[in-house]
Amino acid sequence: MAPGRVTAAAAAWSARGHHRPTGRTVRKGDGVVGSAAAGRDGIRADLEQVFRACYPRIVGVAARVLGSRAEAEDVAQEVFLAFGRSSVPAGQAVGWLSVAAAHTALNQVRSRRRRTAREQVAGAPETVGPDIAEAVVTRDERRRVRAALDRLPRRQAVALLLRHSGLSYAEVAAALDLSPGSVGTTVRRAESALREELNRHASSE
Amino acid sequence: MRHPSDGTLRRLLDEPAGVADADRAHVANCPVCLSGLAAARQDATLSSAALGGRPGVGVEADVDVDAGWQRLSRTVAESGRPRVPAVARKRRWRAALRSPVVAAVAVLALVGGAGAAAAGNWLQIFHTERIAPVTIAQADLVALPDLSAYGEVEMTEPPNVREVADAAEAQRITGLSLPRLDRLPRGVTGEPTFQVGDRASAVFTFSVARAAQTAAAHGEPLPEPPAGLDGSQFRLTAGPGVAAVWAGQHGMPNLIVARMAAPTAYSSGIELSTAVDYLLSLPGLPENVAAQLRHFTGDGTTLPLPVNARYLTASPADVNGTPATVLTSRDGVLAGVVWVDGATVTAVAGPLRADEVLSVARGLRWDR
Repeated sequence: MAPGRVTAAAAAWSARGHHRPTGRTVRKGDGVVGSAAAGRDGIRADLEQVFRACYPRIVGVAARVLGSRAEAEDVAQEVFLAFGRSSVPAGQAVGWLSVAAAHTALNQVRSRRRRTAREQVAGAPETVGPDIAEAVVTRDERRRVRAALDRLPRRQAVALLLRHSGLSYAEVAAALDLSPGSVGTTVRRAESALREELNRHASSE
Repeated sequence: MRHPSDGTLRRLLDEPAGVADADRAHVANCPVCLSGLAAARQDATLSSAALGGRPGVGVEADVDVDAGWQRLSRTVAESGRPRVPAVARKRRWRAALRSPVVAAVAVLALVGGAGAAAAGNWLQIFHTERIAPVTIAQADLVALPDLSAYGEVEMTEPPNVREVADAAEAQRITGLSLPRLDRLPRGVTGEPTFQVGDRASAVFTFSVARAAQTAAAHGEPLPEPPAGLDGSQFRLTAGPGVAAVWAGQHGMPNLIVARMAAPTAYSSGIELSTAVDYLLSLPGLPENVAAQLRHFTGDGTTLPLPVNARYLTASPADVNGTPATVLTSRDGVLAGVVWVDGATVTAVAGPLRADEVLSVARGLRWDR
């Protein structure tokens, strides 16, 4: 596990200015910044409390991308570690963690796709026996969903994942710095694009 | 009245209470909107199925929170202090001596510069003039022995990394000139903070007994050591260093520009040319790594930079005529460029693209 990747990812969104991990601008001097006092080793004191409250949900966000609970738990662990070292206000924890999990999982999909593409170029064509055909179909569907998610605009993909992981419109709005009114629009566009991606891909195979 | 937006129709499916009464009343009696609502419902159902069903069931229900918390607690305990890239350049030095790869590379760098050293005096045997990436796979990383497997490591001068008030203070402490940036990359704003670190040095004392234990642990006998190697001391120094850090949200840096006095190695006296081959022959060092590292030990001026192939890719570039190495994370999130100019190592890194860090690097202005 490379804990640095999540923090880097979080920094990347804020650096680019279009995917802020939290809804509000946090400045030095805001009272909320110090609300979670860092304990030993710079890990915030409320980490366990937040972890116990949110862990299944954050695993769920990553699992919606990756389709594997084990991989989703790896992502969630990374994300909580980054959260433990952050000064994200406790009230924004669910949103921040969900956005971070979505981005980290989507980043994994992207790097894995690049790797797979290289391996397919290098390797011989895969042959599949009929006995495992059904498992392959399911795996193939999941792969198609992952690829489709990766092709969506990142903001749409994250909004979609957050909404389908049970975050309310208000929570999605705060986490992505959207107005509550535009959450529905973003989710609608994402769902329409996802259908088109899945259909386009299904018909081309 | 005007038809409510697609977004409003979508919200009607999830949170009807969040939609204005007038909109709800309109939709209930408008064939166009009802058709739009049906289409939205269809896409929502398909998306839900594609993404693994309703929230709260399935994956979430099976998660073992206690086991998850124990795992995170272990990681927190093992990883110690937060790894903030802002100070990593210097703090890493401390961790470096525990890191097997850097440790092994340090040994090689220390003994790599050929030439005899007079007994009893520290003689410079290595000074960094160039950096060359050495790609190391995850498996090799695990296989490499710790430096402490060969002898004693003692930190004689700690780097003492700290924030200082301004650029002038940083320059006064480190003697290193600081960069000006005419243009910041997109998304990087504000004024940087400055961190400095003192010169750090560590002494490594080779122990044949310790090396024999390590060899035994690999189930192999220790090759006969060259005379005089047992108890030989090597000193590695690096720094002082300075970093300008542009902060992003939550304390994560958006851009780091760092400079440090290049690593230099000294020996207290042994016939080094023989020690190189000896160390490379020790059990535990993967042959492919040894072969790569051997390539860099010839002139005592090229510092091998271990690059974990799983996370990073390295490629050559140049910064205004000076050869440089560009490192990019495989997920495309981070990039950095590092080069040596004179006796100074300079690095630019951040959550940016490779062309962005290169553009920053080439645009640095030094007040000499």
